[in-house]
Amino acid sequence: MARIGEIVATSSSSLTAASFALHQPPPLGSLVKVTVEEGQRRVYGVVSFGTTTGLDPGRRVVRRSTDDVQDAAIYAEHPQLDKTLRTEFQALLVGYDGPDGRTYQHLPPQPPPLHYSVCACDADEVRRFSQRHDHFRVLLQTMGEIPAEQLLAAHIREMYRARGNDAEWLAAAARQVAALLKGEYDRLMGVLQAIEPA
Amino acid sequence: MPLDFAAIQPQIAQMIGRAQTQSTADQLQAACELLRTTDSARLRQVLQERQQRDRIPWLVATPRGQIGARHAVGPLPGPDFSVLASDGSSIPPDRHSPLRFFLVNVGLALLTYGRRPDAQLWAQSRFRSDEQDIYIRTEGRRIPMEGARMGLQMALDELQALWEAAQDVGSGSPLLALRDGSLIFWALQSEEEAVVGHFLPQILDCLDRFRMAGIPIGSFISYPGAQDVANTLRLLICGQDPKHCGQCAGATDQERSLCRAVADFRDQALFLRHLRPGERSTVFDSSSTILDRYGEQRVQFAYLHTGDEIARLEAPQWVMSDETMRDFLFAAVMDQCRRGRGYPACLMEAHEQAVITTGERYLVEQMVEETLAERGLVYVRSAKDRSKRERGV
Repeated sequence: MARIGEIVATSSSSLTAASFALHQPPPLGSLVKVTVEEGQRRVYGVVSFGTTTGLDPGRRVVRRSTDDVQDAAIYAEHPQLDKTLRTEFQALLVGYDGPDGRTYQHLPPQPPPLHYSVCACDADEVRRFSQRHDHFRVLLQTMGEIPAEQLLAAHIREMYRARGNDAEWLAAAARQVAALLKGEYDRLMGVLQAIEPA
Repeated sequence: MPLDFAAIQPQIAQMIGRAQTQSTADQLQAACELLRTTDSARLRQVLQERQQRDRIPWLVATPRGQIGARHAVGPLPGPDFSVLASDGSSIPPDRHSPLRFFLVNVGLALLTYGRRPDAQLWAQSRFRSDEQDIYIRTEGRRIPMEGARMGLQMALDELQALWEAAQDVGSGSPLLALRDGSLIFWALQSEEEAVVGHFLPQILDCLDRFRMAGIPIGSFISYPGAQDVANTLRLLICGQDPKHCGQCAGATDQERSLCRAVADFRDQALFLRHLRPGERSTVFDSSSTILDRYGEQRVQFAYLHTGDEIARLEAPQWVMSDETMRDFLFAAVMDQCRRGRGYPACLMEAHEQAVITTGERYLVEQMVEETLAERGLVYVRSAKDRSKRERGV
């Protein structure tokens, strides 16, 4: 599976990775993995944030566009931007493969190591992990840049799409959300409206 | 302790008051008029006579064309071209340390434009502690590498790194090599011959490699402080031997007033009024005596209105006398200033690669201290240094 990033910050609850593709972090809510212990086990994360900034915090991003040069053309006009900008993404840790071969959907015992590669989960891994919804609770308890309900909704949309628009799965996921947010009508409606298929 | 701002503020106001006067503006106009109307053939003759007759205590510039000429910078040779720049920073020898070493970090930027835009940014760090690197030996003495000599070493490292990098660039499209700062190494003039003999041949050898490879090399000086052209105008204003400037007896009041004003003008002030954005001056020869030892690499200069300021561009005469190379130099620099919002983008990126942060300087010192400790050696700095670091009360 192709590597999409390298971990540049890690903790018990999340990881931050430098994306290999500028401006292209993995989709918000998608499932990613880090393979640890010499390829034996995986730690799973849900992409919770993406950003592109200057590599050097001391250098401000300045306006580059002119009447003649805009958008993508700016990068041909200033080729050094590929080397002086960086895209990073964060992923909340939502599960891991235990030593008994089972996959658990709660925080892993240890953070994944720095400089390890982050990969997107393949279709089989997405299908197996999303069979259970225990990790929804982890996503709802997060306090990050994005409201927890929006992050959960993005994750459900990504899993629904990766499972081939599995309507049955979506309905089950919606029931789980309703159970978790039964005392919080506004938050519940926020999620349900955001995951309703077009 | 904090600065006494109450004392400083009125002094700042006085300084500004002295700088901005109507008479200064009038004198600048008169100087520019002189620039526009002087016949350069006559000027070159006057310069030659005066330099033979008198000892001119300041640098003057001999124009290759009309002194007041304005040349519009032409277009780039095509959409595909590259600019390679270097810049350097250093950790100089520390007299408070028991060990003598220095570090030069050369930043490099290769920016390619056109059908295949690309950028390569990197740095080369050179740590020096060998006897032959940290001293120049002469007649049983050791001349330490410090102060102005450190600056020369850094300039040499920048040029050599620029050459090494230039060799790896494909020859498919035009390449310009550019450095920040002067190519006229004035500092050598006040050094003893052993130092000149150490640096100058290496510098000239490096420039010659560019010549043999057909790669134009130049340097860019932002907001230059030079007065070469202004000094030349002084020789036109007054025909007296400059040794009489203190008495200034032979000049008329008008000549005296204009000469004194011009003596304070920088060339960049003259050309800011004289040139329009996108224009360059004629090429000038400097009278700096160190250039007499440059041979084929003798450096010439010209002023360029970048749109934001007057910059001084220097290059060996083999670049300035080759129309294709010269035009490419000025066109590429104008283009770089446009992309870099007033300053060449490649020099900006080379500088960023070269910068040594305070943290990194401290880290180098830590590395030295830890390596000493591994070998059971104690690292003791001077008492003065320790007192500055402690700052106890």
